[in-house]
Amino acid sequence: MQEKNWLKLFKSNKKLQRIVLSIILWIIAAIWYIPIFWMLSTSLKSSQVAITENPPRWIPQEPTLENYKIVFSPASGISVMRGIINSFFVAIISTFLGLVIATPAAYALSRLRFRGRNAIFWSYVAILAFPGVLFLVPQYFIIHSLGLMDNYLALILPGLGSTFGVFLLRQYMLGIPRELEDAAWIDGCSRLRFLITVVLPYVKPALTTLALMSFLGSWNSFLWPLLVLNSPEKLTLPIALVRFSAGWGDPFRGIGPLMAGAFVSVAPTLIIFIVFHKYLMQGISLSAGEK
Amino acid sequence: MTNMKQKIFSNKLWWELGNWGFLLPHFFFFILFIIIPLISNIQISFYNWNLLGQKTFVGFQNFVRIWTDDRFWLAVKNTVIFAIVSIPLVIIVAMIIALILNQKVYGKLWLLIAFVSPTFFGSVGILTTWKWIYASYPTGLLNYYLTKFGILREAISWFETPARAWLCIIITTVWWIVGFSVLLYLGALQRIPPEQYEAAKIDGAGPWKIFWNVTLPWMRNVLFFDVVRQVLLAFGLFDQVYFFTGGGPAGSTRTMVYYLYLIGFTRQELGQAAAISWYIFAIVLIFALIQLFMLTKTIRSAEE
Repeated sequence: MQEKNWLKLFKSNKKLQRIVLSIILWIIAAIWYIPIFWMLSTSLKSSQVAITENPPRWIPQEPTLENYKIVFSPASGISVMRGIINSFFVAIISTFLGLVIATPAAYALSRLRFRGRNAIFWSYVAILAFPGVLFLVPQYFIIHSLGLMDNYLALILPGLGSTFGVFLLRQYMLGIPRELEDAAWIDGCSRLRFLITVVLPYVKPALTTLALMSFLGSWNSFLWPLLVLNSPEKLTLPIALVRFSAGWGDPFRGIGPLMAGAFVSVAPTLIIFIVFHKYLMQGISLSAGEK
Repeated sequence: MTNMKQKIFSNKLWWELGNWGFLLPHFFFFILFIIIPLISNIQISFYNWNLLGQKTFVGFQNFVRIWTDDRFWLAVKNTVIFAIVSIPLVIIVAMIIALILNQKVYGKLWLLIAFVSPTFFGSVGILTTWKWIYASYPTGLLNYYLTKFGILREAISWFETPARAWLCIIITTVWWIVGFSVLLYLGALQRIPPEQYEAAKIDGAGPWKIFWNVTLPWMRNVLFFDVVRQVLLAFGLFDQVYFFTGGGPAGSTRTMVYYLYLIGFTRQELGQAAAISWYIFAIVLIFALIQLFMLTKTIRSAEE
């Protein structure tokens, strides 16, 4: 009987519902926050303390920035600092070039007429459903035969063929009102000018979304740079971190610096997500073909 | 007259070529890095080919060799089991989180950050952290709390047995990728017209029935998309294995892509690796079709 009363109270009281649901979700969310917090916490302890302290402490007792110094010091063999600069450079160039060629392509596929347009559009979409591993071996061959191994172009060029960005921008451009286009034609506006003065401002949110997603995609990419890069001074951050951790033999002996490196690799993403979450979340729904 | 016609015609042709010009730069890279690789992947799979340029035509030998390799079938089995467990798990967890997030809750933004931001994190930072959480020391985070709460008697090595290693891989995977699905579902939930719910409530439907008869059918397109996406992800499983287990113990966590990596890039048998990638393609295709078929059936029965 008492249970029923509780249920009744819960059902009728909106505020109580809100509190209970919030608590449930916050408990789940707390679990989701643990790895990030643990990474940051460990990065502020010496490796010795991190391995041996019992119980493990969430807040470091004697916080130290020593690990970050090790990570950034050029003396540690593999320079993580160099990796950050390389990754940043590659990600910026890939993103910029990707946008420059994807935007007119999306414009052509959404607003211009020419023979073969539909066939090309559908092959662009179909290719998105192919497992990426199909392209691994042949792209490796092409990069090798172009003499681009251990070259940043090997990281930048293959991504330019990706149809994801074109698809995303096209979905967005379909929403440009017809009247806007008609008005521009009557004014004798050329296609290129129309693209620059009307389409670009209209798709700015989608461009921002795509820019962020492609920057993060490049920043995070792992398997491909692992295969094509070799020289220590050319490594991107993820590969530099892997080599860095391999330097310890038992990786946990260097867990402090390793977590500092991990945090350095994740922090830009976290900041970008907190600042631009609106755009990144829109990117997710756009990729499903929705607005 | 004819001249005029010709002029209009050639203008039109120029116009159309101009339209093509906008597509051209991207199309060039699409051909060079997508279409040509796809075709040459067929070619490579029929050759015994290495990077020094030596190649001999071997017909179906690569395909036969992989087909008769027990390690390949072990990798197929491992990957399929992973897909069967992880895909529904991610969908269910994402659905629960999205359904609650769709209600009025406190601190929505920070909840979204918790669930969705991991999707955008790179594998190296994330996986080294998880590996540290699974550390075999008594002071490893997971060992410490499990022994403290009496679930474990003593600290264990998490990657030592196949079941435990897979448990770790799956937990990390759900944590990592569930946010994408959460956001997809949340978007779909918000597009359901409120009248639909009210009509169902007037009919006296309970929450479970409302979910089954109203929510699920409205989410069909998003679920389809998510299943295809997740099949691709599950069959591409590589990074977790690379960081956690290296395929061990005894090949029990070796996935298809990891197997391809070993054959193609540590043993340099690129022709065989290409053959493996076609097998992966075929299996993904079959698996995606089965999943979509089952999902269609579920939603149909919900609609009836």
